[in-house]
Amino acid sequence: MNKESKHDTWFRLDNSGKIFPEVSSHRETNVFRVAISLTEKIDKDLLQLSVNTILSRYPMFKVKLKKGLFWSYFDYNSKPFIVEELKHYVCGEINPKKNNGYLFRVMYRNADIIIEMFHSLADGAGVIMLLKALTYEYLLLTGKDVKPDNLISTKNQRPSIEEYEDANSKFYNRKNKKHVPEKRAYRIKGSPLSEDLTGLISGTMSTKEMIDLSRNNDMTITEYFAALMMHIIYVTQIQYRGHISSNQKPVKIFVPVNLRKHFPSNTLRNFSNFVKTDLVMNQDDISFEYLKSLVKEQFKKGMTKSELIRKMSENVAFEKNVFLRFTPYFLKKYALKIGYNMLGVKLNTMSLTNIGKVDFPESMEPYVKDVTAAVYSGRYNTLNCSIISYKDRLKITFTRSIVETTIEREFFRHFTNLAIDVEVESNYVEEY
Amino acid sequence: MKYCDKCKIKIDTKKTYCPLCQQTLSGEISDDLIEKYPEYISINRKVYPVTKRIIMFVTIVSMIILLVINFATYNGRLWSLIPIGSIFYFWILVSVGIFSKANIAFRLATLTSLLIALLVLIDEASLSEGWSYNYLMPILLTVCNLAISVIILIKRIDYRDYILYLLTIVIFSIIPIVLVFFKVITIIWPSLVAFGLAISILLFIIFFFPKSIKDEIKKRFHA
Ligand SMILES: [Zn+2]
Repeated sequence: MNKESKHDTWFRLDNSGKIFPEVSSHRETNVFRVAISLTEKIDKDLLQLSVNTILSRYPMFKVKLKKGLFWSYFDYNSKPFIVEELKHYVCGEINPKKNNGYLFRVMYRNADIIIEMFHSLADGAGVIMLLKALTYEYLLLTGKDVKPDNLISTKNQRPSIEEYEDANSKFYNRKNKKHVPEKRAYRIKGSPLSEDLTGLISGTMSTKEMIDLSRNNDMTITEYFAALMMHIIYVTQIQYRGHISSNQKPVKIFVPVNLRKHFPSNTLRNFSNFVKTDLVMNQDDISFEYLKSLVKEQFKKGMTKSELIRKMSENVAFEKNVFLRFTPYFLKKYALKIGYNMLGVKLNTMSLTNIGKVDFPESMEPYVKDVTAAVYSGRYNTLNCSIISYKDRLKITFTRSIVETTIEREFFRHFTNLAIDVEVESNYVEEY
Repeated sequence: MKYCDKCKIKIDTKKTYCPLCQQTLSGEISDDLIEKYPEYISINRKVYPVTKRIIMFVTIVSMIILLVINFATYNGRLWSLIPIGSIFYFWILVSVGIFSKANIAFRLATLTSLLIALLVLIDEASLSEGWSYNYLMPILLTVCNLAISVIILIKRIDYRDYILYLLTIVIFSIIPIVLVFFKVITIIWPSLVAFGLAISILLFIIFFFPKSIKDEIKKRFHA
């Protein structure tokens, strides 16, 4: 790319990305994090150099958000990107004014590299690709003999259009876009933490043991965790209190589905959808066994190709609506806000994201100890959970905006009671 | 590694308690351990400073008083709009002109357009002599056009960010000529100068930056 064409780069926001700038605030940040632990202390200057390399390799991240007449868009950002030291914030708001216009952060602490990304720009799978590429460049700069083995896109490859396509509109089907109205979900109760605080507790378990455990139940790991989460929310918050009015609302666990596994696309932009568990839990005798079979059935229904396309098309249809399209942006953002209130976070009790297994080339594995994923928690989803695994380490990270840790405690005790080892990490929010 | 007997979990920390159940942890930890996550340092959210609130309150109250006096002693002229408009403009000047980190061309274009609006308001609310249309509107537009052009010539790298604001002011510069046709403007030469400069700048952009202006419009107006 020559200098001239680089400055001309701009991108449309993808379908899901369009909504986030309008509905994000310091409480609902729509920011998520992936982190990697290496074996040695991070060198700030080398990290800065590798980020610079990565930004010229992935122009879709070297952008700022700008407003157009009808839609906002990502425009080439000529300002420098600066890496920072990790602060106590977990998935805090990304304020472009304080961040040279960039919509993501790269931070370091001890041997960890942390990327926090605004959801408009990419989804979990996209950021994992970025994290891998960044780690590769960093290890290379520290003089390690690492090879990309086709698992990593290096600076020697040219950016491809496929990396930033909006795959949602590609698979959009006009005939399958029916809107299915949904009820507001049950909200996990607790005393709110101070606004600049997010509690984080993660537990690491053996991937193999987890696979065995869920196989014995004839489920996937995600299904097992979702069912267990339903069960724990039920036991700790609802059981024997079925008469209370707020307990009449369905408990819904929102589980993002990485559509790259279902439809051919290599985009780094948002390309995910969801399945949900959904049950009003006002009975006194809901068993874990029942929840397991329910979750399996609901996931099976939600994951059929036609249902995934329907959910995707429902969103794209909203954007393609002629009236909305030609409404000036400053009015449109209100329409988007209202639409989001009907479709958004209030419809979920919590989100459970399984990023899945992260693979590194064999030459990189000796230098990578651990990976972590986390999502923001806000006013409506007071507790969220992300899962990521690397080799035999499966790590579940809870982030919360409430003081109580009852659900996390019961969740991890469920496994320790099954004699499965759990190693915990926490950001210790002690003084409220 | 420390250990919680109740939760049966392991944890690497210098802290005393289990993060899950708040029980005392057992076991020892090496002294050189660095906590995985940094300590929480409370940062108070910024509140409006008291002085700012006092000034805001005083200005709003004085605006109301001015309006009340004006209507109580109404003689066919809304003279109170002159101080009220000036106060508004002063606030915008401070916030957009000094404290805003926005694009300089945007700031110039906004402040100039609003200044013209204010001057027209003062002119109309006082004796309606037309000095604002006849002289100040075209002259200010000319100055603003020249200023943004100079900025673009100096800051070559970011010129794409500025070109749309230049174009806006160029289009605004056609307004005085239109007003000449409607006989609102009677002194013609300042408007002609503004128009001439605007057309020259427009032609310059079209001849020398045709692609960037097309791109900028495509970006801003994609639906
Ligand atoms: Zn404990």
